Amino acid sequence: MALLSLEKVSVAYENQYILQNFDLSVEKGQLISLLGPSGCGKTTTLRLIAGFLEAKEGKFLLNGKDYTRIPVNKRNFGFVFQNYALFPHLSVYDNVAFGLRLRKVKEPEIRQRVTKVLDAVSLAGFEQRFPKALSGGQRQRVAIARALVIEPDLLLFDEPLSNLDANLRVSMRVEIRRIQQELGITTIYVSHDQEECFSISDRVAIMNKGIIEQLDRPAAIFKYPKTEFVARFIGFNNFIDFEQRSDSGDEIELKAKDRIFRAVRHPGMSGANGRKGAIRPDDIVVGTPEEIEAGVGCLTGRVKVSTFLGRSYQYVVETELGSFTANKEMESPFLSGQEVRLFFPREKLVLVE
Amino acid sequence: MKKKVLVLLLPGLLFLTAFMLVPIVITVGSTFVHDGAFTLEGYMHFFGDTFFLKILFTTLEVSLVTTLMCIVLGFPVAYYISRRGRRQKSLLLALAIFPLLTSSVVRSFSWMIILGKKGLLNNALIALGLIKEPMDILYTPAAMMIGLVHLFLPLIIITLVGVMENIDPDLIKAAESLGASRFSAFRKVIVPLSVPGLIIGSILVFVGSLTAYTTPALLGGKQKVISTFLYQNAITLNDWYSASVIATIMMAITFAVIAIMNKIANTLNPKG
Ligand SMILES: Nc1ncnc2c1ncn2[C@@H]1O[C@H](COP(=O)(O)OP(=O)(O)OP(=O)(O)O)[C@@H](O)[C@H]1O
Ligand SMILES: [Mg+2]
Repeated sequence: MALLSLEKVSVAYENQYILQNFDLSVEKGQLISLLGPSGCGKTTTLRLIAGFLEAKEGKFLLNGKDYTRIPVNKRNFGFVFQNYALFPHLSVYDNVAFGLRLRKVKEPEIRQRVTKVLDAVSLAGFEQRFPKALSGGQRQRVAIARALVIEPDLLLFDEPLSNLDANLRVSMRVEIRRIQQELGITTIYVSHDQEECFSISDRVAIMNKGIIEQLDRPAAIFKYPKTEFVARFIGFNNFIDFEQRSDSGDEIELKAKDRIFRAVRHPGMSGANGRKGAIRPDDIVVGTPEEIEAGVGCLTGRVKVSTFLGRSYQYVVETELGSFTANKEMESPFLSGQEVRLFFPREKLVLVE
Repeated sequence: MKKKVLVLLLPGLLFLTAFMLVPIVITVGSTFVHDGAFTLEGYMHFFGDTFFLKILFTTLEVSLVTTLMCIVLGFPVAYYISRRGRRQKSLLLALAIFPLLTSSVVRSFSWMIILGKKGLLNNALIALGLIKEPMDILYTPAAMMIGLVHLFLPLIIITLVGVMENIDPDLIKAAESLGASRFSAFRKVIVPLSVPGLIIGSILVFVGSLTAYTTPALLGGKQKVISTFLYQNAITLNDWYSASVIATIMMAITFAVIAIMNKIANTLNPKG
């Protein structure tokens, strides 16, 4: 059974619904990320779970208990803010001890727990510093320690790394994942950095305009996006609308303007009942008509734009089924206007809804 | 570049030196000289005089109570204003500042109408049956305090709003997520972070009350405070020597208050 579940939740700001009939469930001990374009409602979802926002409709259950109307300060969730939100008038020690003092924990135990958690985030020795005298990464770790020390039932992160530089982001995300797994805390993590989400999550939820388009393991999403939106979001830039499909076993035959394509049905392919084909620029094979023989899965067209990407060249090829973007590593590039043939390998062509 | 800035500063500096620094030095200096010799006699005289000490004490009491009342009344109002949206905030601030924009004579006369023996307040209380005989409010220290709170409340509100609107609202959310109720988040986060504004506001109110003239003169009746006593010495009794001594004492108290408040600020908020 899921530890956390949101059931048909609606949230509105001034009568404008941001989330409607929103469902989400998270298993115990997992780290799940909410990923999506700006304004899609990630922060709103997180703040709803934290209790900063109230649901207009729907239910929020945790461990079978109804949390919908429980106020923030009774929830025992750790929240890590994008800008850290450390108390500037308190030392690192007092920042971390804040939640424990409110819980009336005895001072010797506070000392022991604060020391332990500061150790866990590699900040031993920084107890007496004030937030102003810390680097961004250190502040972030204090914020995490402050959220962890209360032994929260749920850990919530809102873009915790977006204010850090690229190198630090990578090492901090590894750190967050390590701590989360060591302590086995169920965690919800919001970000709009794909790599970050894919690298640390057990499950990723791709959000679009207040709904979850797909919730799955990172690898599954990466390989088999369920909907066109997800496919586009993770870099499938090419789409074909098929008019006909016929399935025989794991083979799917597709037709568009009398051109025949094949795709393979894979157990993880979640949008496999759709009629739209999606493929990444890297997965289309480009060649001259002499190099690639015409046949199933092929399409001829003319190069419209050719761009040097460093390792490879990127071509926009105009065909009777629309234009396609394809990448290829080569010595001397195709010229604009040159006739080329595209081949869509059947194991790379994914069907989406 | 630097030289140009200095040139621009010069007129202001000259003005301040000629019309403020020099007169102050002369005034203060003159209190220590009698018949061409150094003396503390003026001060000994005043500090040995129970009449003067009583005035001094009343003044300090009125200023202190006024400051505390301004803090108590101003703090929640400032917090409320600081959490409003932009539009509402400017409107509310304008309303809060309004008393500062009216003449203190007009304001004091209004209070005389309200607080007098046959004033609005006494009439209302008698009509409600809460009291039988009219109370003596006008021409007491209480009337001065009421008038001064009315005058200076805007100052503390403005300074506090300035500090409070820079407090990240996420800090309150953070405190709440760690288990704090609204009230304890306010007490443990908002209050300490407002200390700088509180100190500045308190200094303004305290020093303002200490030196205010019109309000205590009109609402205090026979009850004197230092400023009215100073005026009486200088203008009515034409005793400029005593007036200078009183002025120096007033100035010394003002600086002492600022120093003490700064000390408090430093201990309350070491890294602020
Ligand atoms: N306080 C508010 N009042 C009104 N509308 C709001 C408020 N906060 C957010 N919104 C709107 O709600 C929608 C979702 O916002 P949200 O902050 O959840 O997006 P997000 O997915 O976190 O985006 P980002 O990646 O930019 O942080 C946006 O359209 C936003 O304009
Ligand atoms: Mg956000």
